[in-house]
Amino acid sequence: MKAFAKRLGGALAVLAIVLVLNFFLFRIMPGDPLTGIVDPRFSPEAKQQLAAQWGLDRPLREQFFVYIREMLSFRFGLSMMTGQPVWDELKNRVPNTVALLLPALLFSAALGIFLGVKAALRRGSIVERLVLWSGAASFSFPSFFVQILLLMGFAWLWPIFPLSGSSSIPPRTGLAGAVDYLWHLALPLFSLVVLSFGGWALYVRNMMVKALGEDYVLMAIARGLPRRRVIWNHAFRSVLPPVVTILLLSLPGVVSGAVITETVFSLNGAGRFLLEATNSHDYPSAGAAFFLLALLTVGCNLLADLLCVLVDPRVRRGGVQ
Amino acid sequence: MREKAMKRTGARFWGRLTKEPLFAFFSLTFFTVFFCAVFVSLLSPPPALASSFDIFQFEGPRMKDLYYPVIRDMDAQLLAMSTGKLDVLSDIYRPADIRRLSESGGVELSLAPTFHSFMITFNTRKFPWNRVELRQAAAQVVQRRQWTRDLFSGYCEPLTTYLPPVSPWCDPSPEELPQGMEAARSRLASAGWTWDRFGRLIAPDGQPVPPTKILCPPSSVAATTTEIAQLMADALNELGLPVEAEPIDFQTMLARVDRHDFDACTNAWTMSRDPDVLYAFYHSSMDVEGGYNLSGIADPELDGVLAGLRYAPDEAAARVRALEAQKLLCRLVPVAPIYSRYSVAAIRSDWNGVFTTERSTSDNMLTLISMTPKEGPDRPIYWNIPEEIRTLNPFVSTTAYDWTVLGTIYDSMLSVDPWTFEDVPWLAESWDITTGEKGSVLTFTLRDGLKWQDGRPLTVEDVAFSLGYIKDRNIPRFYDSVKDIESIEVDKDSRILRVALANTSYWHLHNIGGMPVLPKHILENVPDWRAWQPTLRIHSALDGTEMTELIGTGPFTFRESRTGEYVHMTRNEHYLLYAPAAVSTPSARAVSDAVSIMMN
Repeated sequence: MKAFAKRLGGALAVLAIVLVLNFFLFRIMPGDPLTGIVDPRFSPEAKQQLAAQWGLDRPLREQFFVYIREMLSFRFGLSMMTGQPVWDELKNRVPNTVALLLPALLFSAALGIFLGVKAALRRGSIVERLVLWSGAASFSFPSFFVQILLLMGFAWLWPIFPLSGSSSIPPRTGLAGAVDYLWHLALPLFSLVVLSFGGWALYVRNMMVKALGEDYVLMAIARGLPRRRVIWNHAFRSVLPPVVTILLLSLPGVVSGAVITETVFSLNGAGRFLLEATNSHDYPSAGAAFFLLALLTVGCNLLADLLCVLVDPRVRRGGVQ
Repeated sequence: MREKAMKRTGARFWGRLTKEPLFAFFSLTFFTVFFCAVFVSLLSPPPALASSFDIFQFEGPRMKDLYYPVIRDMDAQLLAMSTGKLDVLSDIYRPADIRRLSESGGVELSLAPTFHSFMITFNTRKFPWNRVELRQAAAQVVQRRQWTRDLFSGYCEPLTTYLPPVSPWCDPSPEELPQGMEAARSRLASAGWTWDRFGRLIAPDGQPVPPTKILCPPSSVAATTTEIAQLMADALNELGLPVEAEPIDFQTMLARVDRHDFDACTNAWTMSRDPDVLYAFYHSSMDVEGGYNLSGIADPELDGVLAGLRYAPDEAAARVRALEAQKLLCRLVPVAPIYSRYSVAAIRSDWNGVFTTERSTSDNMLTLISMTPKEGPDRPIYWNIPEEIRTLNPFVSTTAYDWTVLGTIYDSMLSVDPWTFEDVPWLAESWDITTGEKGSVLTFTLRDGLKWQDGRPLTVEDVAFSLGYIKDRNIPRFYDSVKDIESIEVDKDSRILRVALANTSYWHLHNIGGMPVLPKHILENVPDWRAWQPTLRIHSALDGTEMTELIGTGPFTFRESRTGEYVHMTRNEHYLLYAPAAVSTPSARAVSDAVSIMMN
C-alpha cells in the first residue's frame, strides 16, 4: 500500500512536469500559429488581430496560468485551427480511433502470442520457420505499402470491401448502419493486425524459448504434470508480466491514432488531428491531446504495476524490488 | 492628277505656315498634341473591355444531391475515380497519375494554367544577395525549361514573370535577361566581379563570396522542391558561388525566413487575380514581422510604383502601375521565378454539362450546377475533397477545402468571368466606383427577387449588416477587405448600397464585391463569431423545413457532415440560376474544344 502510494505520488509528479513541458515545448518549437499562415492577402495587421484573439499578445506568464487553468479544469478552450471546442474535436475523433486500434491491438497481440508460443514449442519445424518469416515480414514492410496493396486487391480488383471512410455515402441507419461500419473497418483492421502481429510473435517466441529451457519447467515436466499445464501455467506465466506491461503501455497508442492508416483509408481519427495540431501550432488542441495522452500513459503504467502484482506472485511476496 | 493636287495643297500649307504666325502656332500645337496622344496611346495598354460573359446562359443546379467525400490518399482517389465512386477529382499533380487516369478510360481530363508561382527568394538584406547584378546572374543560370520538363513532364509552365502568365495583369513582354552561364558570367564581369584561381567569385571590393545555403523543405515533404533547390545550388556553384541546398523541416524553415535568418529559400504562392499582391511581396513596408516581403527588397522607385498600384483610382491607372512594377522587378530580381503549376482536373465521362475555358479546368461552379448524367436517372454528384473540412464557420475557416464547400453556400456581389477574369454582375446587377472627399465610394445596386436558402428575401440591408458585422469585430479572415470602410449607407427602396472608404483604391471593388454575403436574420443571433458552429444550430426555413444556420444564396444548401468523412449538400431551389423546367432537360455540353485542353 505504501509502495503504491509512493508510485501514485511519482505519477502525479510526472504529470506536473508534462503539464509544464507541454506549455513550453510547443512555444520553443520553431514557428508559431501565425507563421503557418502563408497567404499574401493576410496582412501583418490582420495577423496581429488574430494573435490578440488567440491571446498570444498577452505576457507569457499570463498565458501559462490560463493554460494551467484550462488543463486542470479539463475545459481545454477553443481549437485555433477550427474555432471549435477542443473537447468536441477530440470527441469526434477518439471513438473512431479506439474502435479501430483497440481491436487491432487485441487481435494482433492474441495472434502474436498464440503463434509465438506455437513456434517456441516446435523449434526447428516448418511452423517455427513460418512464424519467424511472417513475423519478420510483418513489421518489415512499410504500412502504407501493405495497405495500398490491400486496397488495390480487395477494394478495386475484387471489390469486396469499400475504398475509403468508415461509412457508406449516404449513410445507413440502425443495424444496417452498424454492419456497414464494421464492413468499412474490416480492411484497415486486418491491415493493422497483419502489420503488428509479427512483433508480438517474435517477442513471445523468444521469451518462451528461454522460459521452456528453465529448470522449473524441467522440474514440472519431471513431476509428470500435463503438457498444457506446464506450458501455460509454468512457462507462459513467467512470460506474462512483460507481455501485460507491453500491452498496457500500447494503450495510449490506441488513442493517439495511426496517421498513415487514417490517411490511406481516409478514416476520421485522432492521429491526423494530432499531427495537424502540432504542425500548425494549435496550442490548445495539441496541449490538450498530449496532456490526455500523458494522463493515459501514466494511468496505464500504474495499472501495469497493479496487474504485475496480480499475475506475478514473486512481486506480491517482495521477491522483486 | 492626284499628285499635282497634293503638291499644290502642300505648297499652300507650307506658305501659310511660314507667313502667318497665328496659323503656324495653332498648326504646331495641333500636331504636337496629336502625336503625343498617339505616342501615349501606344505606350499605355488598352483599357479593359467590359466582360461580355453571360452567366445567365447557365441553368441549375440540376442534380439534387451533392456529396463531398474526403479521400485523402492520392492512390485511393485514383481507384475511386476509376471505379465510379468519385465523379470529380481536382488538383492532380503527379505526372504518373495524370497518365494513369488518361489511359484508364471513362474519365476526361482538363488542364489549365493557374495562379501558382514557384520562386527562389534571395535575402537582399545581406551580402552577397544584396548585390543586384549577382541576383540577375543567378536568375540567368536558371534552366527553367529543362528543369520543368525533367521534373514535371511538362505539366507546368516555366516562369520568367512576377505575376503568373494566366493573370490578365501579367506583363505580356517582360524584359527577359539573356539566359545561360556565359551571359551570367559576362554580366558579373562587366560589373567588376572576378574569379580566383579556384573559380570562386570575388566581389568588386575584393570580398570573396561566403558559402551560402538555399533553404528548402525535405524531399519527404516536397521532392521536386528539394530537387530544384539542389539544381539551383549546382548552377550557382558552376558560376563560382559556394552554395548548397539545405532541406529542413518546413515549419523551421518558415520560422527562419520570418526571422530573416537565411540566404535564399524556395517559395510557392498561389496568387489572386489582382496584381496588388505585388505590394505585399515587394513593398518595403511589408518587410516586418508577419509581412510577406521575404526578400527584404527596399527600393524607393519600386515602393512608389507599388503604392501607386495599390492605391490606383481606376483600372487604367492600375494597369500602367502593374506593368511598371513588373518591369522594375525584372531588373531588381528580388526573387528568381522558376515555374507555375498547371491545374489538372478529372471528371467522369458519363456526365453532361462540363464547362472549361482556357483558364479554368472542369472542376468549377458552372460545371457543378450544369452537370447531368448522360444516361439513366438523376444521381448524386461525388466531388472529392482531399483533406478533411476543418470548420464550416465562414469567419474562422481559412483552408481552400473549407471554402470549396462554403463557396457553394455563400455568394458575393460580383462574380468572375471564367474566360477573362473580369468582373461579372452577380448579386449586384450593377456597380459604380467614384472618388469622394476622402476616398473611393462604391455603389452597388442589388438584384431584385433574391432569396436566401431558407426562402426569406435577401435585401440590401443583409449586405450592409454582414459587412458591418465583419468590420465591427475585426474578423482577421476579412480584416484587410473591410478595414478601410468608413461608412455604409443603404437605400432600401432602390436596392442601393453605398460603401464609402477611407482611401482611394480600385481594389476596394474586388475586396468588398468579393465578400461573402451572410443573412442578417442569422448573424444578429451570433454574439460570438469565433465559437459559432452554424452546422450544429437548427434553423427553420419559411416553409417550416429544418435546416442549419449555414445559409447563403449559393446553389447548394448544407444538409449534414461527418467530420473527416463527407459533407452532404442539397440543391437550393431559390438559387438565382435555378429553373425548374430546365432541370428535367439534359444540358448542352458547354465546352469550347478550341480552347480547353482535353487529354483523352
